[in-house]
Amino acid sequence: MAATVLEIEALTAGYEEAAVVRDLSLGVGEGEVVALLGANGAGKTTTLRVISGIVHPMAGRVVLAGQDLAGTSISARARMGIAHVPENRGLFFGLTVAEHFRLGHRGERLDEEAAYRHFPALAELRDRRCGLLSGGEQQMLAVGRALARHPRLLLLDELSLGLAPLIVERLLPVVREYALESGCGVLLVEQHIQLALTVADRGYVLSHGELVLQDRAEALRGNRDLLMASYFGERATATLEADT
Amino acid sequence: MTAVLEAQGVSVHFGGVRALAGVDLDVQESELIGLIGPNGAGKTTFVDAISGFVRCGGRVALDGFDLAGLSPHERALRGLSRTWQSTELFDDLTVRENLAVASRRPSLWQVAKEMLGDSAATSGEIEQALELLDLGWAQDVMPGDLSQGQRKLVGVARAIVTQPRLLCLDEPAAGLDTGESEELGRRLRALANKGQSMLLIDHDMGLVLSVCDRIFVLEFGKLIASGKPQEVRGDQRVVSAYLGGAAAEVSGP
Amino acid sequence: MQQVLLFVLLGLGSGALIAGIALAVVLTYRGSGIINLATGAIAMLSGYAYWSLKTGEYGGVHFATAPALLLTLVITLVIGVLIEFVAFRPLRTASPLAKLVSSLGVLLVAQASMLLAFGTDQKPQPTILPQGTVKVFGNTVPEDRFILAGIVIGIAIVLAVLYRWTRFGLATRAASENELNAQIAGLSANRLSLGNTLLASVVAGGVGVLAASVTQLDTVSLPLQVVPALAAALLARLTSFGIACAAGLGIGILNSLIDYFSTKSWFPTDQGVPLPGTKELIAFLIIVLAMFLRGAALPGRGELVEQRLPEVPRPHNLMTPAVAFSLVCAVALVVLPFDFRQALVNTLIGTVMALSLVVITGFVGQISVVQLSLAGASGFVVSHMAVDAGIGFPLAPICGSIMAITLGLLTAVSALRVRGVSLAVVTLGATVAIVNFGFINSTWGGGNTGSPVPEPHLFGLDLGPRSAFRGLDGSLPSPVFGWVALAVTVLLCLFVAAIRRGNLGERMLAVRSNERAAAAAAVNVRNVKLLAFGISSFIAGVAGSLYAYNFGSVSADRFDAVTALALIAFAYAGGITLVSGAVFAGLISTEGLIPHALDKWFGINGNWFLLFGGVILLFTLIQHPEGIAGAFYKRLHRSRRPGGRGERGSLFTAKTPAPAAER
Ligand SMILES: Nc1ncnc2c1ncn2[C@@H]1O[C@H](COP(=O)(O)OP(=O)(O)OP(=O)(O)O)[C@@H](O)[C@H]1O
Ligand SMILES: Nc1ncnc2c1ncn2[C@@H]1O[C@H](COP(=O)(O)OP(=O)(O)O)[C@@H](O)[C@H]1O
Ligand SMILES: [Mg+2]
Ligand SMILES: [Mg+2]
Repeated sequence: MAATVLEIEALTAGYEEAAVVRDLSLGVGEGEVVALLGANGAGKTTTLRVISGIVHPMAGRVVLAGQDLAGTSISARARMGIAHVPENRGLFFGLTVAEHFRLGHRGERLDEEAAYRHFPALAELRDRRCGLLSGGEQQMLAVGRALARHPRLLLLDELSLGLAPLIVERLLPVVREYALESGCGVLLVEQHIQLALTVADRGYVLSHGELVLQDRAEALRGNRDLLMASYFGERATATLEADT
Repeated sequence: MTAVLEAQGVSVHFGGVRALAGVDLDVQESELIGLIGPNGAGKTTFVDAISGFVRCGGRVALDGFDLAGLSPHERALRGLSRTWQSTELFDDLTVRENLAVASRRPSLWQVAKEMLGDSAATSGEIEQALELLDLGWAQDVMPGDLSQGQRKLVGVARAIVTQPRLLCLDEPAAGLDTGESEELGRRLRALANKGQSMLLIDHDMGLVLSVCDRIFVLEFGKLIASGKPQEVRGDQRVVSAYLGGAAAEVSGP
Repeated sequence: MQQVLLFVLLGLGSGALIAGIALAVVLTYRGSGIINLATGAIAMLSGYAYWSLKTGEYGGVHFATAPALLLTLVITLVIGVLIEFVAFRPLRTASPLAKLVSSLGVLLVAQASMLLAFGTDQKPQPTILPQGTVKVFGNTVPEDRFILAGIVIGIAIVLAVLYRWTRFGLATRAASENELNAQIAGLSANRLSLGNTLLASVVAGGVGVLAASVTQLDTVSLPLQVVPALAAALLARLTSFGIACAAGLGIGILNSLIDYFSTKSWFPTDQGVPLPGTKELIAFLIIVLAMFLRGAALPGRGELVEQRLPEVPRPHNLMTPAVAFSLVCAVALVVLPFDFRQALVNTLIGTVMALSLVVITGFVGQISVVQLSLAGASGFVVSHMAVDAGIGFPLAPICGSIMAITLGLLTAVSALRVRGVSLAVVTLGATVAIVNFGFINSTWGGGNTGSPVPEPHLFGLDLGPRSAFRGLDGSLPSPVFGWVALAVTVLLCLFVAAIRRGNLGERMLAVRSNERAAAAAAVNVRNVKLLAFGISSFIAGVAGSLYAYNFGSVSADRFDAVTALALIAFAYAGGITLVSGAVFAGLISTEGLIPHALDKWFGINGNWFLLFGGVILLFTLIQHPEGIAGAFYKRLHRSRRPGGRGERGSLFTAKTPAPAAER
């Protein structure tokens, strides 16, 4: 397996005193797409929030390319190469589409053309204020902007949220290729399980904040019943294939 | 019998942008109608237009009554209820209070009575709506503490609680996974069978194709197809503009 | 005609001052979402710094112009850094109202410390700009007017370019819209905010030093320039530098013209002097018209929503605290010494004043500065009905409340298309207009001396502060009036709590949360706002009548703009979303129990009290951004907060709740 980009060890995190994610360990390698699956409220978003520094862990470690991220601010993590597309899309309603691509941190240049290549519809909306875009158009902008940043680790929360089927169908392979070409690691939260598993290398399933199943993507795809069962909290007893 | 919703030639312009260009759409009694189309096609704008949030040309009638000139809350009082693609809950109120705001339509007199300690009898509507979406456990939670899919459902519950004539749902299944959206579909279907008319917008084709009676397809602000799910799914234009491979994957109802 | 032109040109000077401060206001707002009431105060601080350096007031060294300017710049930057770290940064994620209040704290501290350091007399600020004159169409005009206007226009252009075209401007716009998202994008929100605060301080400070020839250097003139500057900034939607600059210059010219016209025989007069307050009234009407033309009844798609105000928990048990509070106060009104008795009555009236803000701001989220003027209007009605028509209690207070409601609804109608901090500025304009046009007028207001108010009598009983029963120590004021105030306060507290418990309160909060969604849920947003304005104006009107009877007179200076802002500050610090917060606000309000105790026991009064008050205000905000009562409430109810672990389920699986977590 290629070098790991992200390593999470025994992570427990949540809001106020309640732990929403418990004792989670997972890893993402270079050029690898990892799907994080689970029912609503399982704790996927929370996990991504911990990685990008929005939520502080109660226990456990988050390591990016060998460096422990404890104490690193959100913006510093972003500058280290984490691109997070959060649930609310992380856009600025007052800025136009084009302005979003001029909004790099110091010394960063965003590859605007790459975004327009992946989402041709965006190019025509260049000068429209983001707040006026339709939901799907906003999602395209959010994902397009993340891709344009050429990150080391891409965190995609609900990638296909609000996107038309045709776009989703084209987008997922793009993410796959993008990871291979650029060597960036992708942690993908996606509700279309089957679609997600067709592009992912590996998958983790969370239930009520606990890791109940992890395996190679083909294996998960092939075992639908086990997958569904694990969604509802039955800890998988099936043998986990060694992820090499 | 008059249609629950009758929209004729609905068109909307934003400056130079033409978002809707003469859309005709009707919803009959206890029908579940789907509205689909590519991103930016004008689906949300259509709901904004009929619910009075953007000005539109053409004619919109609810139960035969022309809605022209009515403000959003007046349309809501007449029985046109909607949810929002971006959820838009009342973040300062608990889930239960979110529903309560929508469920009661107090006159000034009732407000005064309530002040004097005569708390209005809570009707069963709130309980029913909470139960329909299995949200009873969350009734005292603040919306900000819920996950995305949970918030979406609260939005749906808030729209249902008014027992509207027409219920417009803007992507209620966004943020739900396949299984959850199937379950939502079953419940919406059951609601329609009980007589609730609905307009459903969603990109989850598994949901839309399996529960809707009829489907309208928008592209660039114009209708490009309408009809029964099987017809729409087979329509070559719809496949190339919107469905792609999804048409093949989803099995019929 | 030539005269008119002369006054137009002269107005350029004061217009440039307003425009410069307006630019700094816009800059701060765009940089950190703060309506900085202390912008004029920063100009004043720099002005004093330059003056002391030039004259050798401190340290005895007389600096030449260039080094003095340089040092002033350094001092201004230090002030900027201080303000950023003490007042702005701790509140970055708080509601715009919290930020507004904290900037008021800065204003108070700045004013009080300058008063303590330099006294009240005006300082002759040495001028920097050349003092020649130029002839324009036969008029002789000082040339510094043109230079000053030119400089301000230049600053506006530079700022506009900076914000439009540079990465810094773009990043600032992003960060002030959504700080978390900006951080996710890798932007350092802290650094951006500091940069903007420093820039704004330099602009304001520069104007304060350069404008020496068009204004006086004292602790009032410059700080209060923020009021017209806010109006100019509002006309620019708090975003456009160009419009803010133009509007500032325009306001200066307009004022100068009105000065000119008021010397004419046709200008309306009030007992021999030109009608006071016309400038303020005209300014207010212009703002209202502009806001009306531009605003919308409901916010549109993708419009920015401001940060939320503190939460508004539903009150549970009302009777026990109400009875306990009544008993304690009723007894205290008899046994306390006279001065504390008076302070307690003031506290009760302050509580009622704050209650009116709980309804309109706490419940509906509309920041209304005008409430105190409504109270004043009610007080003046009570006074004039007694003096001019011999009508007393209870008809006069009823008419007073009706007056307050009428004025409140008038303001509300003009404010229906405005929300959030913009509304604060509009209502500030209304306050200034009402005070200057209404209260200062000697016919229908109180003139310079105030207007007397006789004791209230009911069925031959004296209910006022001079009633026969005088408490344990036998001096004024009488506890009887205290009991009246107490009864009114408790009733109104129960009334406001009942609103929150009922459906009306839910709908008010729905409007506060999300106007569009409220409309979709069949809530008539306009009516809810009007009703709330009506209710809170009524409460303010009641407070005004109590106030009038309490002091035995009403005068304009008790209702001025700074006092009105201070009222909001007290209410916010107390807890603007809670009835108990109104009680806290009453305790700390002007001449209330706590200020009185501080004066009596620690000798903190006058300017020291102002300074102390400002510091305490800032400190409270940093410690408890949701107000004192909110912090108490959180502590009491933390364990009861719903939605803890074990109660959650995922979708459609309510019957299988999540396994309980280890804490
Ligand atoms: N106020 C506005 N000004 C300008 N353009 C607007 C405005 N509101 C919407 N639009 C544009 O109108 C088009 C239709 O938007 P709408 O939200 O109706 O799309 P939609 O069909 O709901 O798409 P999605 O599936 O992505 O939600 C979009 O291109 C959008 O950018
Ligand atoms: N800000 C918050 N405060 C408190 N609880 C939260 C918050 N956000 C999410 N939760 C709760 O944490 C759990 C996990 O949420 P989340 O990580 O968003 O789930 P997912 O993304 O897997 O759907 C849910 O039960 C949700 O209600
Ligand atoms: Mg999520
Ligand atoms: Mg939409």
